[in-house]
Amino acid sequence: MQKKKTFWKRYGLLVITGLGVGAAAVLLTALGNPANMGFCIACFLRDIAGALNFQRAGFDAQVGSGIVQYVRPEIIGLVLGSTIIALIRREFKPKGGSSPMLRFVIAVFVMIGALVFLGCPLRMVIRIGGGDLNAVVGLAGFVIGILIGILFLRRGFSLRRAYKQSMAEGLAFPVLMAVLLVLLLVRPGFLAFSAKGPGSMAAPILSALLAALVVGVLAQRSRLCMVGGIRDAVLFRDFHLISAFGAILAAVLAGNLILGKFHLGLADQPIAHMEALWNLLGMVLVGWGSVLLGGCPLRQLILAGEGNTDSAVTVTGFIVGAAVAHNFGLASSAAGIGTGPVAVAVGSGLVVLAAVSVANMQKLEG
Amino acid sequence: MMDQYTATFYTHLAAMRSSIALEEAGVQVQLAPVPRRLSSSCGTCALYEAETPMLECMDVDVEAVYRRGRDGFVLLHSNPCT
Repeated sequence: MQKKKTFWKRYGLLVITGLGVGAAAVLLTALGNPANMGFCIACFLRDIAGALNFQRAGFDAQVGSGIVQYVRPEIIGLVLGSTIIALIRREFKPKGGSSPMLRFVIAVFVMIGALVFLGCPLRMVIRIGGGDLNAVVGLAGFVIGILIGILFLRRGFSLRRAYKQSMAEGLAFPVLMAVLLVLLLVRPGFLAFSAKGPGSMAAPILSALLAALVVGVLAQRSRLCMVGGIRDAVLFRDFHLISAFGAILAAVLAGNLILGKFHLGLADQPIAHMEALWNLLGMVLVGWGSVLLGGCPLRQLILAGEGNTDSAVTVTGFIVGAAVAHNFGLASSAAGIGTGPVAVAVGSGLVVLAAVSVANMQKLEG
Repeated sequence: MMDQYTATFYTHLAAMRSSIALEEAGVQVQLAPVPRRLSSSCGTCALYEAETPMLECMDVDVEAVYRRGRDGFVLLHSNPCT
């Protein structure tokens, strides 16, 4: 009995969060979001970049829009959920100044890697839960990337400390998200909304917003992080965060099996391609970059919500990275990798991450 | 009289540097994720047992040092430069 209590105390919130994220992903897909994409941070930030006309991938003059343009309420809800609970629990602490420009550059390449693979670490798990074996290749790349990042952490890598910032600075990003929500509801003409393609597939705004608010609260309380789970397991033999990773997978797997949406295999997976090398290398970029940033894309949204301006800059980098990936033909599609210089971009990303890693290594003896 | 301490840091590097300094001073130390009740951030902390808080071993980027007891965490030191 004592053991059970201890387990629940140690892992309960993370398991509930993981199950909540997984259930929300399945539910939002059933309500209209693209398949195996209930909660993809990379895809949804890319859609927001599209709505702001930073990219118009697959633009069709007849319908007047691209295929990935939509203001995803899930992103807004995650950030505002974190902000609300952080304010209530007095954990809203504006801080920043930890190499913001380097974080921006790393974030651009993390997003390019995610769009070569077609998903953030969260969607990778959601895809595995749908039976997509291409995502298992992505997972291998993700783990390799994290291990490379840990190698540098152990040798003194640091983007240096953050300092306290003003309340206005910390609130700027959550307020921007609130403005984006108003724009989504008003739908002014200067925003673009896809008439076809993944961007046109969406759960009702209220459902998506509510689900994301709940997940935002849970993620802030539990510190859910897809990168942190593997990092902590390797660095500290601590298995708290990775338990949520397992819970998300279990929830998505169960949901897909119940709804008959589980299709095991490599071929014909929703919004996925079968080019293993690029699935692997794309996620190496994501894993490595995320360790340098200190958290996965979902975690960056949550941290930005609780006043971390370095994470807000990172999310801005993700949005710019999404625009770059689509404008230069680097983003993949179900047909395969992009038609642009994908090898040059991914290679450049690996070189940039290596340069940032080496340039920021400091002596271990203070 | 040995007490248990938890030190939190602004960076993982500061945690490693302090850990090395503690070990050189003969103190056994373990690095771990920061307990949730101390912070919503996902940084690294140092757990160690010593007769004093060993503040002299702490890196300049130490955030705070707590004594862990039956009543929870008691704040002993916090970095004046926030």
